[in-house]
Amino acid sequence: MLKTIMRDYAHPYPPRISDFTKTFWHALDDGRFITTRGARSGGLTFPPKPFSPHEWGEPIEWTELSGQGKLYSWTTMYAVPAAFQREAPYRVCVVDLDEGIRVVTRLLSDGAAPLDSPIELVVIRYTDCTSFAARLLSGAET
Amino acid sequence: MSKTVAIIGYAALPCGKWQTPAEAEIATLEHEVLARLVIEATADAGIEKRDISSLCLTLPREYTRQKYFGTFMASYLKLACTGSVSEALGNGMTGGLAFENACNDILLGRSKVALAMGINFESQAKAADLMMSSMRAVGDVDFQAPFGISPIAWGAMDAMRYMHETGATREQIASVAVKNRAHAALNPLAQFRTPLTLAEVLNKPPIVSPLGLFEVPPRSDGAVCLVLAEEDVARGLGKPYVRIRSRAFYHEGVHQVSDEPNDMIALNALEIAGSSAYEQAGIGPGDIDFGELYAAVTIMEILASEALRLIPRGQGAVWAAQGRTSLGGTIPLATSGGLLSRGHPPYITPLYSFVEAVDQLRGTAGARQVASAELGLTAAELGNYNAALVHILEGIH
Repeated sequence: MLKTIMRDYAHPYPPRISDFTKTFWHALDDGRFITTRGARSGGLTFPPKPFSPHEWGEPIEWTELSGQGKLYSWTTMYAVPAAFQREAPYRVCVVDLDEGIRVVTRLLSDGAAPLDSPIELVVIRYTDCTSFAARLLSGAET
Repeated sequence: MSKTVAIIGYAALPCGKWQTPAEAEIATLEHEVLARLVIEATADAGIEKRDISSLCLTLPREYTRQKYFGTFMASYLKLACTGSVSEALGNGMTGGLAFENACNDILLGRSKVALAMGINFESQAKAADLMMSSMRAVGDVDFQAPFGISPIAWGAMDAMRYMHETGATREQIASVAVKNRAHAALNPLAQFRTPLTLAEVLNKPPIVSPLGLFEVPPRSDGAVCLVLAEEDVARGLGKPYVRIRSRAFYHEGVHQVSDEPNDMIALNALEIAGSSAYEQAGIGPGDIDFGELYAAVTIMEILASEALRLIPRGQGAVWAAQGRTSLGGTIPLATSGGLLSRGHPPYITPLYSFVEAVDQLRGTAGARQVASAELGLTAAELGNYNAALVHILEGIH
Protein backbone atom coordinates (compact mmCIF):
# COMPACT_ATOMS: atom_id res chain seq x y z
CA MET A 1 0.00 0.00 0.00
CA LEU A 2 1.31 3.41 -0.97
CA LYS A 3 0.95 6.15 1.62
CA THR A 4 -1.55 8.88 0.86
CA ILE A 5 -1.10 12.65 1.05
CA MET A 6 -4.13 14.89 1.01
CA ARG A 7 -4.49 18.18 -0.88
CA ASP A 8 -7.29 20.60 -0.04
CA TYR A 9 -7.66 21.86 -3.60
CA ALA A 10 -8.57 20.52 -7.01
CA HIS A 11 -5.94 19.21 -9.39
CA PRO A 12 -4.69 22.11 -11.57
CA TYR A 13 -4.76 19.98 -14.73
CA PRO A 14 -6.45 16.66 -14.02
CA PRO A 15 -5.85 13.65 -16.25
CA ARG A 16 -8.67 12.30 -18.39
CA ILE A 17 -9.77 8.79 -17.49
CA SER A 18 -10.77 6.27 -20.12
CA ASP A 19 -12.68 3.06 -19.81
CA PHE A 20 -9.30 1.35 -19.99
CA THR A 21 -7.16 3.62 -17.76
CA LYS A 22 -9.82 3.74 -15.02
CA THR A 23 -8.40 0.43 -13.81
CA PHE A 24 -5.10 2.20 -13.06
CA TRP A 25 -6.72 5.20 -11.38
CA HIS A 26 -9.09 3.09 -9.28
CA ALA A 27 -6.16 0.97 -8.08
CA LEU A 28 -4.29 4.15 -7.21
CA ASP A 29 -7.33 5.23 -5.17
CA ASP A 30 -6.79 2.03 -3.21
CA GLY A 31 -3.08 2.74 -2.73
CA ARG A 32 -1.84 0.33 -5.39
CA PHE A 33 0.40 1.33 -8.32
CA ILE A 34 -0.35 -1.02 -11.21
CA THR A 35 0.48 -1.19 -14.88
CA THR A 36 0.26 -3.60 -17.80
CA ARG A 37 2.67 -6.14 -19.19
CA GLY A 38 2.73 -8.54 -22.09
CA ALA A 39 1.50 -11.95 -21.00
CA ARG A 40 4.08 -13.73 -23.21
CA SER A 41 7.01 -11.31 -23.31
CA GLY A 42 6.58 -10.09 -19.75
CA GLY A 43 7.49 -6.63 -21.04
CA LEU A 44 6.19 -3.87 -18.81
CA THR A 45 4.90 -0.57 -20.09
CA PHE A 46 3.98 2.69 -18.43
CA PRO A 47 1.55 4.37 -18.78
CA PRO A 48 -0.55 1.18 -18.95
CA LYS A 49 -1.80 0.36 -22.43
CA PRO A 50 -4.66 -1.78 -23.72
CA PHE A 51 -2.17 -3.67 -25.90
CA SER A 52 1.47 -4.69 -25.58
CA PRO A 53 3.89 -2.32 -27.34
CA HIS A 54 6.54 -5.06 -27.05
CA GLU A 55 4.60 -7.61 -29.11
CA TRP A 56 1.50 -6.03 -30.60
CA GLY A 57 -0.46 -9.25 -30.80
CA GLU A 58 0.15 -10.65 -27.34
CA PRO A 59 -2.43 -10.53 -24.56
CA ILE A 60 -1.80 -8.17 -21.66
CA GLU A 61 -2.26 -8.44 -17.95
CA TRP A 62 -2.25 -6.03 -15.03
CA THR A 63 0.56 -6.25 -12.51
CA GLU A 64 1.19 -4.43 -9.26
CA LEU A 65 4.49 -2.59 -8.76
CA SER A 66 6.23 -2.00 -5.46
CA GLY A 67 6.26 1.77 -5.81
CA GLN A 68 9.91 1.75 -4.77
CA GLY A 69 12.83 2.77 -6.90
CA LYS A 70 15.61 5.26 -7.44
CA LEU A 71 15.75 8.93 -8.29
CA TYR A 72 17.22 9.21 -11.79
CA SER A 73 16.97 13.00 -12.04
CA TRP A 74 14.93 15.99 -10.94
CA THR A 75 14.63 19.75 -11.30
CA THR A 76 12.94 22.58 -9.48
CA MET A 77 10.63 24.45 -11.85
CA TYR A 78 10.36 28.16 -11.11
CA ALA A 79 8.73 29.07 -14.43
CA VAL A 80 5.60 26.96 -14.72
CA PRO A 81 2.53 26.64 -16.94
CA ALA A 82 -0.34 29.01 -16.02
CA ALA A 83 -2.53 26.35 -14.38
CA PHE A 84 0.23 25.45 -11.91
CA GLN A 85 1.14 28.96 -10.69
CA ARG A 86 -0.19 28.38 -7.16
CA GLU A 87 2.09 25.39 -6.68
CA ALA A 88 5.30 27.05 -7.99
CA PRO A 89 8.10 26.45 -7.43
CA TYR A 90 7.87 22.67 -7.45
CA ARG A 91 10.06 19.73 -8.30
CA VAL A 92 9.51 17.21 -11.06
CA CYS A 93 11.53 14.06 -11.44
CA VAL A 94 12.32 10.93 -13.39
CA VAL A 95 12.34 7.80 -11.24
CA ASP A 96 13.29 4.23 -12.09
CA LEU A 97 11.09 1.74 -10.27
CA ASP A 98 12.63 -1.48 -9.00
CA GLU A 99 10.69 -3.56 -11.52
CA GLY A 100 12.55 -1.79 -14.35
CA ILE A 101 10.11 0.87 -15.46
CA ARG A 102 10.72 4.62 -15.71
CA VAL A 103 8.12 7.10 -14.52
CA VAL A 104 7.86 10.91 -14.58
CA THR A 105 6.21 12.55 -11.61
CA ARG A 106 6.48 15.23 -8.92
CA LEU A 107 9.23 15.03 -6.31
CA LEU A 108 7.86 16.08 -2.94
CA SER A 109 11.11 16.16 -0.99
CA ASP A 110 12.68 19.54 -0.25
CA GLY A 111 16.37 20.05 0.35
CA ALA A 112 19.16 17.81 -0.83
CA ALA A 113 18.05 15.01 -3.14
CA PRO A 114 21.12 13.17 -4.43
CA LEU A 115 20.55 11.28 -7.64
CA ASP A 116 20.20 7.51 -7.34
CA SER A 117 18.69 7.92 -3.85
CA PRO A 118 15.96 5.42 -2.99
CA ILE A 119 12.44 6.81 -3.41
CA GLU A 120 8.89 5.68 -2.85
CA LEU A 121 5.76 6.61 -4.72
CA VAL A 122 2.90 8.12 -2.74
CA VAL A 123 -0.73 8.73 -3.62
CA ILE A 124 -1.83 12.38 -3.82
CA ARG A 125 -5.51 12.88 -3.21
CA TYR A 126 -6.82 16.15 -4.61
CA THR A 127 -10.39 17.21 -3.92
CA ASP A 128 -11.42 16.08 -7.39
CA CYS A 129 -9.07 13.27 -8.36
CA THR A 130 -6.14 11.09 -7.43
CA SER A 131 -2.56 11.43 -8.61
CA PHE A 132 0.83 10.25 -7.45
CA ALA A 133 4.28 11.61 -6.63
CA ALA A 134 7.69 10.44 -5.48
CA ARG A 135 9.60 11.27 -2.32
CA LEU A 136 12.90 10.23 -0.87
CA LEU A 137 12.48 7.20 1.37
CA SER A 138 13.92 9.19 4.24
CA GLY A 139 12.10 12.35 3.18
CA ALA A 140 9.49 14.42 4.94
CA GLU A 141 6.03 15.03 3.60
CA THR A 142 5.41 18.41 2.02
CA MET B 1 19.87 8.28 -56.65
CA SER B 2 22.01 10.26 -59.00
CA LYS B 3 20.52 13.63 -58.10
CA THR B 4 22.03 15.81 -55.42
CA VAL B 5 20.49 18.81 -53.74
CA ALA B 6 22.13 22.19 -53.19
CA ILE B 7 21.23 25.28 -51.21
CA ILE B 8 21.68 28.21 -53.56
CA GLY B 9 20.35 31.17 -51.63
CA TYR B 10 18.44 32.47 -48.64
CA ALA B 11 16.93 35.47 -46.94
CA ALA B 12 16.20 35.67 -43.23
CA LEU B 13 14.65 38.07 -40.76
CA PRO B 14 16.85 38.81 -37.75
CA CYS B 15 15.45 36.91 -34.77
CA GLY B 16 13.66 39.20 -32.35
CA LYS B 17 10.30 40.50 -31.33
CA TRP B 18 8.37 41.33 -34.48
CA GLN B 19 4.85 40.23 -33.68
CA THR B 20 2.52 43.13 -32.94
CA PRO B 21 -0.12 43.06 -30.17
CA ALA B 22 -3.61 42.09 -31.27
CA GLU B 23 -4.84 45.61 -30.51
CA ALA B 24 -2.02 47.37 -32.41
CA GLU B 25 -3.19 50.08 -34.80
CA ILE B 26 -0.62 48.95 -37.35
CA ALA B 27 0.02 45.21 -37.45
CA THR B 28 3.00 43.31 -38.79
CA LEU B 29 1.54 40.67 -41.10
CA GLU B 30 3.29 37.34 -41.46
CA HIS B 31 2.62 36.89 -45.16
CA GLU B 32 4.00 40.33 -46.00
CA VAL B 33 7.20 39.56 -44.12
CA LEU B 34 7.64 36.14 -45.68
CA ALA B 35 6.85 37.32 -49.21
CA ARG B 36 9.59 39.94 -48.95
CA LEU B 37 12.05 37.19 -47.94
CA VAL B 38 10.95 35.03 -50.88
CA ILE B 39 11.75 37.88 -53.29
CA GLU B 40 15.11 38.51 -51.58
CA ALA B 41 16.06 34.84 -51.44
CA THR B 42 15.20 34.34 -55.09
CA ALA B 43 17.42 37.30 -56.01
CA ASP B 44 20.20 35.98 -53.77
CA ALA B 45 20.02 32.61 -55.54
CA GLY B 46 19.96 34.21 -58.96
CA ILE B 47 16.90 32.34 -60.18
CA GLU B 48 13.53 33.43 -61.55
CA LYS B 49 10.05 32.97 -60.17
CA ARG B 50 9.23 30.56 -63.01
CA ASP B 51 12.04 28.21 -61.90
CA ILE B 52 10.31 27.45 -58.58
CA SER B 53 7.83 24.59 -58.42
CA SER B 54 7.63 23.61 -54.74
CA LEU B 55 6.67 25.66 -51.70
CA CYS B 56 7.62 23.74 -48.55
CA LEU B 57 6.54 25.66 -45.48
CA THR B 58 6.55 25.15 -41.78
CA LEU B 59 3.17 25.33 -40.07
CA PRO B 60 2.81 28.78 -38.51
CA ARG B 61 2.18 28.97 -34.78
CA GLU B 62 -1.41 29.05 -33.51
CA TYR B 63 -0.99 32.82 -32.99
CA THR B 64 -0.90 33.47 -36.74
CA ARG B 65 -4.39 34.48 -37.86
CA GLN B 66 -4.10 33.35 -41.47
CA LYS B 67 -4.69 29.62 -41.79
CA TYR B 68 -3.86 27.29 -44.70
CA PHE B 69 -0.84 29.53 -44.78
CA GLY B 70 1.02 27.52 -47.44
CA THR B 71 -1.63 27.68 -50.11
CA PHE B 72 -2.35 31.26 -49.09
CA MET B 73 1.31 32.10 -49.76
CA ALA B 74 1.17 30.37 -53.16
CA SER B 75 -1.75 32.62 -53.96
CA TYR B 76 -0.21 35.77 -52.46
CA LEU B 77 2.94 35.14 -54.55
CA LYS B 78 0.86 34.07 -57.57
CA LEU B 79 3.08 31.02 -57.85
CA ALA B 80 1.75 27.89 -59.55
CA CYS B 81 3.60 24.71 -58.41
CA THR B 82 3.96 21.31 -60.05
CA GLY B 83 5.93 19.80 -57.13
CA SER B 84 4.04 20.45 -53.94
CA VAL B 85 2.70 23.09 -51.58
CA SER B 86 2.70 22.02 -47.95
CA GLU B 87 3.06 22.98 -44.32
CA ALA B 88 5.12 20.62 -42.16
CA LEU B 89 4.85 20.07 -38.42
CA GLY B 90 7.16 18.05 -36.23
CA ASN B 91 7.80 19.81 -32.94
CA GLY B 92 11.26 21.37 -32.85
CA MET B 93 12.12 19.52 -36.03
CA THR B 94 9.45 21.37 -38.02
CA GLY B 95 11.89 23.53 -39.98
CA GLY B 96 13.96 20.47 -40.74
CA LEU B 97 10.92 18.67 -42.12
CA ALA B 98 10.07 21.60 -44.41
CA PHE B 99 13.65 21.40 -45.63
CA GLU B 100 13.20 17.65 -46.16
CA ASN B 101 10.05 18.21 -48.21
CA ALA B 102 11.95 20.57 -50.49
CA CYS B 103 14.85 18.11 -50.85
CA ASN B 104 12.49 15.24 -51.56
CA ASP B 105 10.68 17.06 -54.34
CA ILE B 106 14.04 17.68 -55.98
CA LEU B 107 15.28 14.12 -55.46
CA LEU B 108 12.02 12.73 -56.85
CA GLY B 109 12.37 14.90 -59.93
CA ARG B 110 9.21 16.85 -59.18
CA SER B 111 11.01 20.17 -58.91
CA LYS B 112 14.28 21.67 -60.04
CA VAL B 113 14.00 24.48 -57.53
CA ALA B 114 12.09 24.35 -54.25
CA LEU B 115 11.64 26.86 -51.45
CA ALA B 116 11.95 25.71 -47.82
CA MET B 117 10.56 28.46 -45.69
CA GLY B 118 8.56 29.49 -42.70
CA ILE B 119 7.58 32.18 -40.30
CA ASN B 120 7.20 31.75 -36.55
CA PHE B 121 5.56 34.64 -34.70
CA GLU B 122 4.71 34.07 -31.05
CA SER B 123 6.37 36.73 -28.92
CA GLN B 124 3.10 38.40 -27.88
CA ALA B 125 1.92 35.24 -26.11
CA LYS B 126 2.55 35.25 -22.36
CA ALA B 127 5.15 32.72 -21.21
CA ALA B 128 2.87 30.97 -18.71
CA ASP B 129 0.14 30.64 -21.35
CA LEU B 130 2.60 29.42 -23.96
CA MET B 131 3.74 26.81 -21.44
CA MET B 132 0.16 25.55 -21.11
CA SER B 133 0.46 24.60 -24.76
CA SER B 134 4.04 23.36 -24.69
CA MET B 135 3.47 21.09 -21.66
CA ARG B 136 0.89 19.27 -23.77
CA ALA B 137 3.57 18.76 -26.40
CA VAL B 138 6.36 17.32 -24.29
CA GLY B 139 4.70 14.47 -22.50
CA ASP B 140 1.66 12.27 -22.19
CA VAL B 141 -1.19 14.71 -21.45
CA ASP B 142 -2.78 12.36 -18.93
CA PHE B 143 0.26 10.76 -17.31
CA GLN B 144 2.97 13.46 -17.49
CA ALA B 145 1.52 16.91 -18.23
CA PRO B 146 -0.60 16.79 -15.03
CA PHE B 147 2.66 17.11 -13.07
CA GLY B 148 3.15 20.53 -14.65
CA ILE B 149 6.22 19.71 -16.70
CA SER B 150 7.70 22.07 -19.32
CA PRO B 151 10.01 21.46 -22.29
CA ILE B 152 13.04 22.97 -20.60
CA ALA B 153 12.47 20.92 -17.45
CA TRP B 154 13.69 17.95 -19.47
CA GLY B 155 16.89 19.80 -20.26
CA ALA B 156 17.31 20.67 -16.60
CA MET B 157 16.98 17.01 -15.62
CA ASP B 158 19.52 16.13 -18.30
CA ALA B 159 21.88 18.70 -16.74
CA MET B 160 21.42 17.24 -13.26
CA ARG B 161 22.19 13.76 -14.54
CA TYR B 162 25.17 14.92 -16.58
CA MET B 163 26.73 16.70 -13.60
CA HIS B 164 26.10 13.64 -11.47
CA GLU B 165 27.72 11.25 -13.93
CA THR B 166 30.62 13.31 -15.27
CA GLY B 167 31.46 15.68 -12.44
CA ALA B 168 30.96 18.62 -14.80
CA THR B 169 30.34 21.86 -12.95
CA ARG B 170 27.53 24.34 -13.12
CA GLU B 171 30.07 26.94 -14.32
CA GLN B 172 31.35 24.78 -17.15
CA ILE B 173 27.82 24.19 -18.43
CA ALA B 174 26.97 27.89 -18.13
CA SER B 175 30.04 28.77 -20.21
CA VAL B 176 28.11 27.57 -23.27
CA ALA B 177 25.82 30.61 -22.88
CA VAL B 178 28.81 32.98 -22.66
CA LYS B 179 30.41 31.43 -25.73
CA ASN B 180 27.21 31.54 -27.78
CA ARG B 181 26.62 35.18 -26.87
CA ALA B 182 30.13 36.03 -28.05
CA HIS B 183 29.31 34.39 -31.38
CA ALA B 184 25.96 36.19 -31.60
CA ALA B 185 27.72 39.52 -31.14
CA LEU B 186 29.15 38.89 -34.61
CA ASN B 187 25.86 37.83 -36.23
CA PRO B 188 23.52 40.48 -37.66
CA LEU B 189 20.64 37.94 -37.52
CA ALA B 190 21.07 37.41 -33.77
CA GLN B 191 18.51 38.58 -31.24
CA PHE B 192 20.97 39.17 -28.38
CA ARG B 193 24.35 40.63 -29.26
CA THR B 194 25.67 42.18 -26.05
CA PRO B 195 28.51 40.06 -24.66
CA LEU B 196 27.91 38.27 -21.37
CA THR B 197 30.24 37.29 -18.55
CA LEU B 198 30.06 33.96 -16.78
CA ALA B 199 29.08 35.78 -13.57
CA GLU B 200 26.14 37.40 -15.34
CA VAL B 201 24.92 34.00 -16.49
CA LEU B 202 25.34 32.41 -13.07
CA ASN B 203 23.68 35.28 -11.23
CA LYS B 204 20.44 35.21 -13.19
CA PRO B 205 17.39 33.82 -11.38
CA PRO B 206 16.86 30.08 -11.74
CA ILE B 207 14.20 29.02 -14.22
CA VAL B 208 14.56 25.24 -14.03
CA SER B 209 17.38 24.40 -11.64
CA PRO B 210 20.28 24.29 -12.24
CA LEU B 211 19.58 26.39 -15.34
CA GLY B 212 19.04 30.14 -15.08
CA LEU B 213 17.46 32.71 -17.35
CA PHE B 214 20.40 32.98 -19.76
CA GLU B 215 20.66 29.20 -20.14
CA VAL B 216 17.13 28.70 -21.42
CA PRO B 217 15.78 29.92 -24.75
CA PRO B 218 14.48 33.44 -25.29
CA ARG B 219 11.13 34.16 -26.89
CA SER B 220 11.71 34.89 -30.55
CA ASP B 221 9.92 35.68 -33.75
CA GLY B 222 11.64 34.90 -37.03
CA ALA B 223 11.26 34.06 -40.70
CA VAL B 224 13.50 32.32 -43.22
CA CYS B 225 13.35 31.43 -46.91
CA LEU B 226 15.92 28.99 -48.32
CA VAL B 227 16.25 28.25 -52.02
CA LEU B 228 17.09 24.62 -52.82
CA ALA B 229 17.90 23.29 -56.24
CA GLU B 230 19.10 20.23 -58.05
CA GLU B 231 22.87 20.51 -58.16
CA ASP B 232 22.83 20.90 -61.97
CA VAL B 233 20.97 24.17 -61.49
CA ALA B 234 23.42 25.28 -58.81
CA ARG B 235 26.42 24.58 -61.05
CA GLY B 236 24.91 26.65 -63.84
CA LEU B 237 24.69 29.72 -61.61
CA GLY B 238 28.46 30.10 -61.51
CA LYS B 239 28.85 31.02 -57.85
CA PRO B 240 29.47 29.27 -54.55
CA TYR B 241 26.71 27.02 -53.25
CA VAL B 242 26.19 24.40 -50.57
CA ARG B 243 25.86 20.73 -51.45
CA ILE B 244 23.94 18.39 -49.17
CA ARG B 245 26.42 15.58 -48.69
CA SER B 246 24.27 13.36 -46.53
CA ARG B 247 21.14 13.23 -44.46
CA ALA B 248 19.99 10.85 -41.75
CA PHE B 249 16.95 10.57 -39.53
CA TYR B 250 16.18 8.40 -36.55
CA HIS B 251 13.22 8.31 -34.19
CA GLU B 252 13.70 5.94 -31.29
CA GLY B 253 9.99 5.25 -30.89
CA VAL B 254 9.86 7.25 -27.70
CA HIS B 255 8.02 10.48 -26.88
CA GLN B 256 10.20 12.54 -24.52
CA VAL B 257 11.18 9.84 -22.04
CA SER B 258 11.51 6.09 -22.45
CA ASP B 259 9.59 3.96 -19.98
CA GLU B 260 12.54 1.57 -20.11
CA PRO B 261 15.30 2.90 -17.85
CA ASN B 262 18.03 3.91 -20.30
CA ASP B 263 20.83 6.41 -20.49
CA MET B 264 18.67 9.51 -20.95
CA ILE B 265 21.62 11.77 -21.70
CA ALA B 266 23.23 9.59 -24.37
CA LEU B 267 20.74 11.00 -26.96
CA ASN B 268 20.96 7.71 -28.79
CA ALA B 269 18.70 8.82 -31.66
CA LEU B 270 21.22 11.53 -32.45
CA GLU B 271 24.12 9.12 -32.12
CA ILE B 272 22.46 6.75 -34.61
CA ALA B 273 21.46 9.48 -37.08
CA GLY B 274 24.88 11.11 -36.80
CA SER B 275 26.75 7.86 -37.43
CA SER B 276 24.60 7.20 -40.49
CA ALA B 277 25.21 10.72 -41.83
CA TYR B 278 28.98 10.36 -41.40
CA GLU B 279 28.96 6.97 -43.08
CA GLN B 280 26.90 8.15 -46.05
CA ALA B 281 29.19 11.15 -46.50
CA GLY B 282 32.24 8.93 -46.19
CA ILE B 283 33.72 11.07 -43.45
CA GLY B 284 34.19 11.03 -39.69
CA PRO B 285 33.38 13.52 -36.94
CA GLY B 286 36.93 14.85 -37.13
CA ASP B 287 36.31 16.11 -40.66
CA ILE B 288 33.53 18.46 -39.58
CA ASP B 289 34.58 22.13 -39.42
CA PHE B 290 31.59 23.50 -37.48
CA GLY B 291 28.24 22.42 -36.05
CA GLU B 292 24.87 24.13 -35.77
CA LEU B 293 22.96 21.95 -33.32
CA TYR B 294 19.44 22.28 -32.03
CA ALA B 295 20.11 23.08 -28.39
CA ALA B 296 17.46 25.08 -26.58
CA VAL B 297 19.37 24.91 -23.29
CA THR B 298 23.10 25.02 -22.55
CA ILE B 299 23.37 21.39 -21.56
CA MET B 300 21.80 20.19 -24.80
CA GLU B 301 24.65 21.57 -26.90
CA ILE B 302 27.05 19.59 -24.72
CA LEU B 303 25.07 16.35 -24.92
CA ALA B 304 24.43 16.70 -28.65
CA SER B 305 28.06 17.36 -29.51
CA GLU B 306 29.04 14.28 -27.51
CA ALA B 307 26.39 12.10 -29.15
CA LEU B 308 27.69 13.22 -32.53
CA ARG B 309 31.24 12.32 -31.40
CA LEU B 310 32.43 15.83 -32.13
CA ILE B 311 33.66 15.81 -28.51
CA PRO B 312 34.60 12.79 -26.36
CA ARG B 313 31.83 11.61 -24.04
CA GLY B 314 31.86 13.47 -20.77
CA GLN B 315 34.14 16.23 -22.05
CA GLY B 316 31.58 18.58 -23.59
CA ALA B 317 31.30 20.95 -20.64
CA VAL B 318 35.07 21.02 -20.16
CA TRP B 319 35.63 21.79 -23.84
CA ALA B 320 33.09 24.63 -23.74
CA ALA B 321 34.77 26.14 -20.69
CA GLN B 322 38.18 25.82 -22.33
CA GLY B 323 36.99 27.63 -25.46
CA ARG B 324 37.45 24.59 -27.66
CA THR B 325 33.91 25.01 -29.06
CA SER B 326 34.38 28.74 -29.68
CA LEU B 327 35.30 30.34 -33.00
CA GLY B 328 38.94 29.48 -33.57
CA GLY B 329 38.65 26.44 -31.31
CA THR B 330 38.83 22.72 -32.08
CA ILE B 331 35.21 22.43 -33.23
CA PRO B 332 33.25 25.70 -33.27
CA LEU B 333 29.62 25.13 -32.25
CA ALA B 334 26.72 27.56 -32.71
CA THR B 335 28.73 30.19 -34.56
CA SER B 336 25.36 31.86 -35.17
CA GLY B 337 24.90 32.32 -31.44
CA GLY B 338 22.64 29.29 -31.29
CA LEU B 339 19.15 29.12 -29.92
CA LEU B 340 20.16 30.96 -26.76
CA SER B 341 21.46 34.14 -28.41
CA ARG B 342 20.75 34.02 -32.13
CA GLY B 343 17.18 33.29 -31.08
CA HIS B 344 14.68 30.45 -31.04
CA PRO B 345 11.49 30.78 -33.06
CA PRO B 346 10.90 27.04 -32.53
CA TYR B 347 9.17 25.95 -35.72
CA ILE B 348 11.82 27.53 -37.93
CA THR B 349 14.91 27.24 -35.76
CA PRO B 350 16.35 24.43 -37.95
CA LEU B 351 16.01 26.74 -40.99
CA TYR B 352 18.24 29.27 -39.20
CA SER B 353 20.80 26.49 -38.71
CA PHE B 354 20.94 26.02 -42.49
CA VAL B 355 21.27 29.79 -42.92
CA GLU B 356 24.35 29.81 -40.72
CA ALA B 357 25.77 26.79 -42.54
CA VAL B 358 25.29 28.56 -45.87
CA ASP B 359 27.09 31.68 -44.62
CA GLN B 360 29.99 29.60 -43.30
CA LEU B 361 30.29 27.39 -46.40
CA ARG B 362 29.94 30.20 -48.91
CA GLY B 363 32.56 32.12 -46.95
CA THR B 364 30.20 35.01 -46.23
CA ALA B 365 30.07 34.76 -42.44
CA GLY B 366 32.14 37.91 -41.96
CA ALA B 367 33.70 38.30 -38.52
CA ARG B 368 32.40 34.90 -37.41
CA GLN B 369 33.80 33.03 -40.40
CA VAL B 370 35.30 29.64 -39.54
CA ALA B 371 38.62 29.63 -41.37
CA SER B 372 38.49 27.56 -44.57
CA ALA B 373 35.24 25.86 -43.58
CA GLU B 374 34.43 23.05 -46.00
CA LEU B 375 32.11 20.71 -44.09
CA GLY B 376 29.38 21.65 -41.65
CA LEU B 377 26.87 19.61 -39.67
CA THR B 378 23.34 20.59 -38.68
CA ALA B 379 21.11 18.67 -36.28
CA ALA B 380 17.42 19.16 -35.62
CA GLU B 381 15.51 17.24 -33.01
CA LEU B 382 12.26 16.66 -31.25
CA GLY B 383 11.48 15.67 -27.71
CA ASN B 384 14.56 15.11 -25.62
CA TYR B 385 16.41 14.32 -28.86
CA ASN B 386 14.11 11.30 -29.17
CA ALA B 387 14.32 11.97 -32.87
CA ALA B 388 17.19 13.53 -34.75
CA LEU B 389 17.63 14.85 -38.28
CA VAL B 390 21.26 15.32 -39.27
CA HIS B 391 22.62 16.95 -42.41
CA ILE B 392 26.22 17.15 -43.51
CA LEU B 393 26.79 20.08 -45.84
CA GLU B 394 29.69 20.93 -48.10
CA GLY B 395 30.74 24.25 -49.57
CA ILE B 396 31.34 24.21 -53.33
CA HIS B 397 33.39 27.08 -54.71
